[in-house]
Amino acid sequence: MDLVIALSPLLAVGFGGLMLMLAEAFGKPSEEGISKTTGDVVDAGAGRGAELGLGASVVLIAGAVMAVGVWIVGPETLEGVADVAPYLLIDRFSLFFTFVLCLGGAFTALLGGGYLPEHRIDRSEFFPLVLFSTFGAIALAMSGDLLSLFVGLETMSLGVYCLIGLRRGSARATEAALKYFLLGSFAAALTLFGAALLYGATGHTDLVGIGEAVATIGQPDSTVAAMPVLLALALTLAGLGFKVAAVPFHQWTPDAYEGAPTPATAFMAAVVKTAAFAILLRVLLVGFGEERLMSWGTGWPPVIATLAVLSMTVGNVVAGRQESVKRMLAYSSIAHAGVALVGVAATIRSTEDATASVLFYLLVYTVSTAGAFGALILCGSRGAEAVSYEDLAGIAKRHPAAALAFSLFLLSLAGFPPTAGFFGKLYVFQSAIDSELYVLVIIGLVNSLIGAYYYVRVMVYMYMREPVPGAPVAKPMSSGMVTSAIVLAALLVLGLGILPGVSLDMAIAAAARGG
Amino acid sequence: MTGFSGGIIEALPYLFAFFVGAMIPRRQGWAERVGIGVVGVLAVAFVMGLWPEAADAEATQAVTRADEWPQLLNVIVFLPIVGAVAILFAPRQNPKLLRAMTMGILAADFLISLGLLRANMTTGWHFQYVTEWLPTFGIRYHVAIDGISLWMVLLSTVTTPIAALVSFGSIKKRTKDLCFAMLLLHGGMLGAFVSLDLFLFYVFWELMLIPMVILIGVWGGVEKIKAAYKFLLFTMAGSVLMLAAILYMVWAHRQAAGFVTFDYLAMSNLVLPRTAATLCFIAFAFAFVVKVPMWPLHTWLPDAHVQAPTGGSIILAAVLLKLGTYGYVRFCMGMLGGPAYDRAATLAGVAVGGGILYGALCAWKQTDVKRLVAYSSVAHMGFVMLGLFAATTSGIKGALLTMINHGIATGALFLLVGVIYDRRHTRLVSEFGGLAKVMPVYAAVFVIVTMASIGVPGTNGFVGEFMVIVGTFVSSALGRHGSIQAVLATFGVILAAVYMLSVVQKMFFGPITNKRNENLPDMNVRETLAVAPLVALIFVLGLFPSLVLDTMDSSVAHVIDKYNSGRDSHRGNTIDELRLLNPSPKGDDPTSYDHNYPVPPKSDDDESANAASRPLSTAVALGQGVSRGVAR
Repeated sequence: MDLVIALSPLLAVGFGGLMLMLAEAFGKPSEEGISKTTGDVVDAGAGRGAELGLGASVVLIAGAVMAVGVWIVGPETLEGVADVAPYLLIDRFSLFFTFVLCLGGAFTALLGGGYLPEHRIDRSEFFPLVLFSTFGAIALAMSGDLLSLFVGLETMSLGVYCLIGLRRGSARATEAALKYFLLGSFAAALTLFGAALLYGATGHTDLVGIGEAVATIGQPDSTVAAMPVLLALALTLAGLGFKVAAVPFHQWTPDAYEGAPTPATAFMAAVVKTAAFAILLRVLLVGFGEERLMSWGTGWPPVIATLAVLSMTVGNVVAGRQESVKRMLAYSSIAHAGVALVGVAATIRSTEDATASVLFYLLVYTVSTAGAFGALILCGSRGAEAVSYEDLAGIAKRHPAAALAFSLFLLSLAGFPPTAGFFGKLYVFQSAIDSELYVLVIIGLVNSLIGAYYYVRVMVYMYMREPVPGAPVAKPMSSGMVTSAIVLAALLVLGLGILPGVSLDMAIAAAARGG
Repeated sequence: MTGFSGGIIEALPYLFAFFVGAMIPRRQGWAERVGIGVVGVLAVAFVMGLWPEAADAEATQAVTRADEWPQLLNVIVFLPIVGAVAILFAPRQNPKLLRAMTMGILAADFLISLGLLRANMTTGWHFQYVTEWLPTFGIRYHVAIDGISLWMVLLSTVTTPIAALVSFGSIKKRTKDLCFAMLLLHGGMLGAFVSLDLFLFYVFWELMLIPMVILIGVWGGVEKIKAAYKFLLFTMAGSVLMLAAILYMVWAHRQAAGFVTFDYLAMSNLVLPRTAATLCFIAFAFAFVVKVPMWPLHTWLPDAHVQAPTGGSIILAAVLLKLGTYGYVRFCMGMLGGPAYDRAATLAGVAVGGGILYGALCAWKQTDVKRLVAYSSVAHMGFVMLGLFAATTSGIKGALLTMINHGIATGALFLLVGVIYDRRHTRLVSEFGGLAKVMPVYAAVFVIVTMASIGVPGTNGFVGEFMVIVGTFVSSALGRHGSIQAVLATFGVILAAVYMLSVVQKMFFGPITNKRNENLPDMNVRETLAVAPLVALIFVLGLFPSLVLDTMDSSVAHVIDKYNSGRDSHRGNTIDELRLLNPSPKGDDPTSYDHNYPVPPKSDDDESANAASRPLSTAVALGQGVSRGVAR
């Protein structure tokens, strides 16, 4: 019984996905005159996006609430938790991530419920896929063993490949999906190869066992060879670096983000990235948390720091050169991965604070980026989608509320107080200073200056420019679901910015007492 | 009074939330409105419940003087911010209502701020309010004023309503955005002047940025977007450096004292290693100097001024630039006196050469009146910075007085330039001539304000610049360069007369050279009403400067004390020593300046001691569940 309670968030999302799949398969297509086929393929449940989206978001919010419930009960007090260890670790660390992932998934479902009917790609497999993918993401965040890690990773990724290619008629979407699929499989294979090497070298698949075996390297009676372990570390970092979209493993990001339907883009930016960071932290701190491997001279910190600097700099500089807002947000997500990696690098000295700062940053980033994509969705409608900067010109006059919401999320992404983004960034940089990584902080701050330029550029177009006469402009859509997602995200952005106390304490607790 | 009005204040957020909630539905009946209003009240109750409680009431009680109402500063700062949020829910189609709301809020804010004058500013901090904000991080909400920030607050509450009044005359489009930006900007500026917690200060400092960018970028001239970007990027560059310095100082304080805090007083007792202190000083000074602005970082200012609408220019010149100088007094001199002393002579040279002289020469060559006034700002702010670098009593007092004077006189000048721009849509000097014949009132006011700007005795400009020059002469921080710099600064006064008087002569006297100027109407009621208080203040402060100077006596002495002790400890410090000045600043002595300053709580005493020695702790914790599982 304990186990069921402890696993309730995961089970809720999984069963919810199955139910939604049944509902979609046996549900009647909507009567209204929309196409119920794509080519020769019959779309079951076509035109039911709004209903299914609502269902999916309710399931995911229930998952988030259950995660909070288990948190309040306390995973330490549930005896049954040990039965699934080490394959699924249910501790405060994974509960925090479960909450964030469910939140991100719920935003996606709400946005999808508005976006898909509006753009006539109302094919309802979207929602079960979101649920299964979130299920995989939660399993990934919970996993403490290389086997469950790989299963979770693939469950999450397979769903996302399909989500990207949802617009079957569009060559761009197909290209994006194929690109992501090929490179993603390659990255997964790298991770798997790393796992195999680790098993070969240490004889363990669970991370704690690996950590203990790695710690014996160099001792006289040790049977563990250093070389395969280091190779495995490099391969694992490469595989996970692909999922978090860190430079130089980022090449797929802009195309995949741009080709995917916008809710799917939000899902990739928020959920996939967060889950990958969860497992990255766990692998590095538990599997490779040995003192020598965590030192600046002989371990992974310089690699992570290099990835962080590259991701921030390349992400920001290239984002500043984009003409499409969606592509800009894709590059900005790369830059944000870089900031979170600064926090990961900072774990070398102030481990708890730095881990907590990464957790809080991911929560903030999920909310802000889901909000930003939501606002982008709200600003466009069928045939008048908001894609480039010019599409948004003067939208503050035509739809002030949408422009205001978009500005709020952009300011949060740029890290202006009093929004959540500011506090997240501050915390990450503070823990980096605690670890005396001054150079990383300076580079990060200079990058936030570049970031301010292109985030404000969107606001400049919305507020200060007029559309060129005759040019296509975005017409805002009206959808209760998108609006409610944005209102929820906006409240969270302001709430986490002005009163971050409770969520911060939770992040600190999640980082400190993992067990 | 406290009980009753305190009760009202406590109920205000709920009432406000109810009102806002009830206003949201567009065409619904009263039932929906009440329902959503109740939801708003619940939301506020939720936030109130989440607020970290740490015996706020007693904490505030202990630091407040008996005759001062502790909520006063909160009301002054948050009235405009709450008003800005309320404006969002007001109907866009009714600009009259929006203007009335904004003017009402700004006027009320001004009247309430007059209550600050009731305090007897002999010593210490006044109207303090302190409460825990993020206890885990040592961040507090701590506001207070002393003899320095009092005048900055009053300067903002006087000039912003004037700027709003002027803007409403000339800007007719997108009134709602204008009202929102004005109110938010006002709240941000006031907040920055009164915060004594570095985090809080930074939040307000950044809060001002976006409204100002919007003011310039939406209602500006032809090149408005470029000017807005320039303003944004210059200011942002300064503030990210400041953020880095703040984070470093917080960390250093934790190393030295063992607990995290962002508190101003705690930071000013910190003695950093020499190099680090210098770097922190450079970061802070960069942020402030960009805002002032000082040569060679001044290039955003002429663009911003020329492109900004009149109201924006008035706020920018009168208050926003003062944040730079205020920040320098409060934070650079108060916290980092050592490196400030080391660099004073060099920086004073820059202030004289790049600010006073170069600014004046640039102003002389301008053909656009507004650009001329903008460059004259660079010159005047050069005087202010010179007085601060000199760091003598008369230098600092003169600088503070010049800040106020510059706010009044330059604000008035921008207002007057706006008057003629609204009539002719040009600001080129060559377009005008002989205006005194068609617009006698306007010409008279312009000449008076010009006199104040030049610093003719009897107007306010004279006293401040005179004190700055005297202070520079005797300054020990400037060493033997002080006298040379004082002499050169005096040339700046002459140059001011040259460029201002020549433009007055060209614009107002002689024959009417341009036919289109023949039928220009004189100043209307709105414009006269807006400029009248500024003209009155020019004479009041010119004839009775001691009104202002006396109240800042003890605060200036306190700043100099901090500056000197910072200098001495910095000198005695080695290259890598980190320590605290007088480790137990116990505030029992009622004669000491900081005796009622609430000492920050020691949040996590022993954490720094063992933080370094446990790099593996999280790793172990993360794996605990696993090992337990395996053990079973």
